[in-house]
Amino acid sequence: MTNDSVRSSVNGCIVEATHVSRIFSMPAGPVTAVADVSLRIAPGDHMAIRGPSGCGKSTLLHMLGCVETPTAGTLLFQGSDVATLSDRQRSLLRLRQIGFVFQRFFLLPMLTAWENVELPQAEAHVSKPERRRRTQELLEYVGLGARADHRPSELSGGEMQRVAIARALANRPGLLLADEPTGELDGATGEQIATLLDRVNADGTALVIVTHDQGLAGRATRVLTMRDGRIESEVQS
Amino acid sequence: MAFAWRSLVRQPARASLGVVGVAAVGALLFDMLLLSQGLVISMRDLFERVGFDVRVTASDALPGQGPLLANAVAHASAIAHLPSVRAAIALRLANAVVQKNGARGQYTAFQGVAGTGAHPWTILRGHDIGSGPDLIVNENTSRRAGVQPGDRVTVRAFCSGDTQALPPVPFTVTGVAEFPFDTPNGTTVATSLDMLANTCGGNETGEADMILVAAREGTSPDAAAAEVVTIVPELRVFSNEQVVSRLEGGGFTYFRQISTVLTTVTLSFAVLLITVLLTVSVNQRLGEIAALRALGFSRWRVVADVLCESILIVGGGGLLSLPLGALLAAGLDRILKRIAGIPADVHFFVFEPGALQVHLLLLVATAILAALYPIRIVARLPIAATLRDEVIG
Repeated sequence: MTNDSVRSSVNGCIVEATHVSRIFSMPAGPVTAVADVSLRIAPGDHMAIRGPSGCGKSTLLHMLGCVETPTAGTLLFQGSDVATLSDRQRSLLRLRQIGFVFQRFFLLPMLTAWENVELPQAEAHVSKPERRRRTQELLEYVGLGARADHRPSELSGGEMQRVAIARALANRPGLLLADEPTGELDGATGEQIATLLDRVNADGTALVIVTHDQGLAGRATRVLTMRDGRIESEVQS
Repeated sequence: MAFAWRSLVRQPARASLGVVGVAAVGALLFDMLLLSQGLVISMRDLFERVGFDVRVTASDALPGQGPLLANAVAHASAIAHLPSVRAAIALRLANAVVQKNGARGQYTAFQGVAGTGAHPWTILRGHDIGSGPDLIVNENTSRRAGVQPGDRVTVRAFCSGDTQALPPVPFTVTGVAEFPFDTPNGTTVATSLDMLANTCGGNETGEADMILVAAREGTSPDAAAAEVVTIVPELRVFSNEQVVSRLEGGGFTYFRQISTVLTTVTLSFAVLLITVLLTVSVNQRLGEIAALRALGFSRWRVVADVLCESILIVGGGGLLSLPLGALLAAGLDRILKRIAGIPADVHFFVFEPGALQVHLLLLVATAILAALYPIRIVARLPIAATLRDEVIG
């Protein structure tokens, strides 16, 4: 499942954040969302980020996913300083190396499950036969091979999140980022999604999950706890 | 484009509204383009169909409203002998009352011609005039005065500047003809210039309102006009194109100005309509768009999708606008042609390929212009903040 180029990245590290901060300019004055955070994510890592609402978890996740750039510090993705990359380069990086899973799934409602999974591959100019093969493989991987022709409105919440995970894995990213992936799901369905994410990680994809769910966080081998934009603690198991 | 199409059809009511709106606006736009040049094209076509390329008059006034050409028949004869000229006829315009068997008279336009060329009318029934007291009538005169070829009628003329009551003159109707400049309800009769002069009291022999000149094949109307000027330098000589240009720069300008104003207004409405529809659509999909950007879709890709949606709406509406515009133009043309004095063969809305090209160009510009604001929203969308807001929302 992982991208070979990621495995061979500099220092064996996918992402390396060194004293990164993210400050937002607001009308009432600057707001520090992330302050002086340093961390490394290696291939195969399984990390959970916890903390109260507004502590900077999602902002850190977005920085790790190259959606946002730090206002201070250095963020290296496969050895490249993200701050020096153009918007187009960062888009390409996200397309080929990073997968995103969102709390609200954000599947395209006019497309079927198959088409949603195929879409990032088409954007990455993957050949049609390879797309077909990969999409079939992914939908079966997430247990939705029989529901490929269903639109999101015809799927349950858990099924939609499975499709979203398949979509995130479409271009074989080395890093999968999930922001409250079980936040919209009931306990049993959330458990199924957690199990699926465990499997994705076990198959070699580094996984970073932002969550309030203690059960989901407890499955990670590294649990970061954030407060006021800083890493308060890191527990490894 | 396929992706944009799928995005559009997920809200069929909104997409349909956009397409129908553009179709309506596009139809108006198309009609305004047809109107802007319609009269000019139609008049040019009519002049060319009459078969004469050059007009000679005594002044710049419209035919029938200016002074008569003295020695018109002699001038026409001299012009007809020019190397670049195939034929020339003198044409005089007057009015008359045509009466059959003492019945109520029919007021008509009255034309008299002399010269070497074919007469400026087309015989429908009977035969053309000869040298005697022959009279050609148009269909309206035939119907209203109840006259047919072979009937004997009297004609009382009303000639230019003539205030005295002229005596009726007997004529024989030889045929029914179509006159190119007839209005839909207009009545016209015609005879030889000599007979018209005779009916006018016989004091204006050889005078006419204009001389119509046909250029020889292979000779340009402008060359013929230039040659005509050399022998009648005191007269006004115009090629058909010059007459059309004068009309274009005169009364017809109003149609172009009206057309320009209405075109601008209709295009503004189209731009506003599509901008609003696309902006609403984009605002409803901000989360999806931010997610796509997070998944690695480039800024250009999401911008292109919005542009394609705009093109699809405008393209669909634009296609519908053509038949709709044609129907509307036909209806409006019928209404406008009720204006008194408009020849039946003149049209206000005339199709020409150039109008279609301009229509397409304006629609493409509309699609691009209308997409600018929603494109700006998409292009400047802050991915992380939008994803955060969507979750909080």
